[in-house]
Amino acid sequence: MSGDQIIDWLQASLRWGAPLIVVSFGEVFAERSGVINVGIEGIMLFGALAGVAISFFTGNVLIAVIGTLLLGSLLGLTFAFFTVTRKTNQVVTGLMLNLIALGGTNLLFAMISETRSERVATFPVLFPESFFDIPILGPVLFRQPLSVWIALVLPFIASWILYRTDWGLNVRAIGDNPQAGATAGLRVLKLKYKTVILSGIFAALGGAMLTLGEVGYFASGGMTAGRGFVVLAAVVVGGWDPLRTALACLAFGAADAAQLRMQTTGSAIPYQFLQMLPYILTIAALAGVVGRTRPPKTWGAPYDPEDI
Amino acid sequence: MNKTKEKQAFISLPGIGELALSGVRPLIGILLGLLAGAVFIALSGVNPLDAYLSMLTGAVGSPVSISNVLVRASPLLIGGVGVAIGIKASLWNIGSEGYIYTGALGAVAVGIAPLPVPPIIHIILAILAAMGVAALWGLVPAYLRAYRGVNEVVTTIMMNYVAMFFISWMVHEPQPLAEPGSFFPMSKIIAPTAKLPILIRGTSLHPGFIIGIAACIFFYLVLRFTPFGFRTRMLGANPEAARYAGVNVRRQILYVLLIGAVMGGMAGSFEIMGLKMRVFQEFVAGVGYECVAVALLAGGNPLGVIPSALFFSALKAGGATMSIQTGVGAPMSVVIIGLCVIFVIAVGYGERKRLEKLSESEQEGEENTEAKQYVR
Repeated sequence: MSGDQIIDWLQASLRWGAPLIVVSFGEVFAERSGVINVGIEGIMLFGALAGVAISFFTGNVLIAVIGTLLLGSLLGLTFAFFTVTRKTNQVVTGLMLNLIALGGTNLLFAMISETRSERVATFPVLFPESFFDIPILGPVLFRQPLSVWIALVLPFIASWILYRTDWGLNVRAIGDNPQAGATAGLRVLKLKYKTVILSGIFAALGGAMLTLGEVGYFASGGMTAGRGFVVLAAVVVGGWDPLRTALACLAFGAADAAQLRMQTTGSAIPYQFLQMLPYILTIAALAGVVGRTRPPKTWGAPYDPEDI
Repeated sequence: MNKTKEKQAFISLPGIGELALSGVRPLIGILLGLLAGAVFIALSGVNPLDAYLSMLTGAVGSPVSISNVLVRASPLLIGGVGVAIGIKASLWNIGSEGYIYTGALGAVAVGIAPLPVPPIIHIILAILAAMGVAALWGLVPAYLRAYRGVNEVVTTIMMNYVAMFFISWMVHEPQPLAEPGSFFPMSKIIAPTAKLPILIRGTSLHPGFIIGIAACIFFYLVLRFTPFGFRTRMLGANPEAARYAGVNVRRQILYVLLIGAVMGGMAGSFEIMGLKMRVFQEFVAGVGYECVAVALLAGGNPLGVIPSALFFSALKAGGATMSIQTGVGAPMSVVIIGLCVIFVIAVGYGERKRLEKLSESEQEGEENTEAKQYVR
């Protein structure tokens, strides 16, 4: 592999890892509060389409992002209503949301097919062009759009919120022991609503980053290609810790970038093995084979105030 | 008070009350799902009634369309009943997608071999191979759940993705199953002796749906009348009680999850030998998740899987006609399936709560009258 190829791969790794990190920001909080939002794959899809559509019709990325965030919070609210209030099975509800999103985005995209013809306004690049010539850092970091820089800062903010604020403490408390949290005066259901809405917002933003980050168009037929599930994998492999989850996201992004290059160049290792990697690592992590991770105690279980 | 008592008495009627309750609940959910679907159809500028009517004619309007529905129902029936058994044991076996893929791989591996045997033997060998490979695949999440306590929902989903990429690898050259020089990575085509017979000339109707319906009836009888079925239901109702009663809970969990895997593998083999004739990446994308939806809609009842699988396959087959006649996109049927399931499970919880409250208030009422008698 030549130097140029390595730089190209590093740049792509960051580009593919960034949306995963953004989506994982919300998912970590939701899972820490006990709710597995499996619907992030579907919310990402909706976000990806909404980002392109709004950017196409308004020509303004900022409006597109705000619209996407609103849509994400609405979808998060819906997921919370079903799983927190109606206490439906979180995984099944998420899978059905994904099914609806896959069909729904295909339908909507067919209705606004004019967006197909041209690239829409995308995220701006933060640094002036003179920075691009700096060796290695120039192409790998400074050439990246604003969205990648957001992704690099978010994990530290998430870590601070989760471990240093009262709100973060409350979220961790209700994920491990909602009854004790309720006894201490926490409004458990309301807090779960907030974390799930947060996961919806950031899943939609991550989806928009897929389309508005660089390519500027939407491809029908599930353009998220299972990235929502890669995030679910990263959260488990990262042990429900924001910083470690972000590292896992970066690693999975790098694996994704590598397998895309291996598909064209060919290699000794089948590229499908790299595609499997996040999922196999998740199973291994849950089985306790690699590292020691402990899920939040009420991971995936609904909370019913009447149960004691 | 009197009214609740009547309702309580009706519900506690053996068989009838249970059936009415389990039947009404999904129907309300389906109705809500269809209503929500109608809103989306109306938003796309088409009269929902017209759309649903063309869907209906597309599903049952002619012998060909009915056979289309039955062909689509075949994997949902076979795979769905395996998921349903899991639901009865409170186990969420979401791995159908992976079982179907790996089962298809097993069926193809045996199917492409030019065996000097009569078709019936070749077909049975291929089905057995499919079930075997899928069982091996399902063993990973099943073992982890049964003996290591690892959440089966997440592992089965992850295994689905591993299966998808595993298939992709297996059908790429230079793997032995891959078709050499094909424009798209796919396996070789199965031998003529491994192809399932077509029941009606001019359609693609293969016997899969008959096997599926038979499997649903078989598992209904197993659940209801055998010790194995009793242990499964006990596991679902109260695992602690099951353990106390001497049930080997771990082994029961393993078996129940493996049944889901084996049935998923079988569904994959029928899809290969009756319809697709070869395997490629995402050759049945999403059917495994539809199996889960089917089982949920049936509330885990194997007999309920039959109408629920037929309903979904009618939606899908009719969706194609609806798309041609009214211009509503074919993906709308998948959206409606998702909506129906979400509403069915959301209604289910409310119903359960109401029942619990009903029986609680009933008991309290009885205690009160008892207390009153004492006072007298």
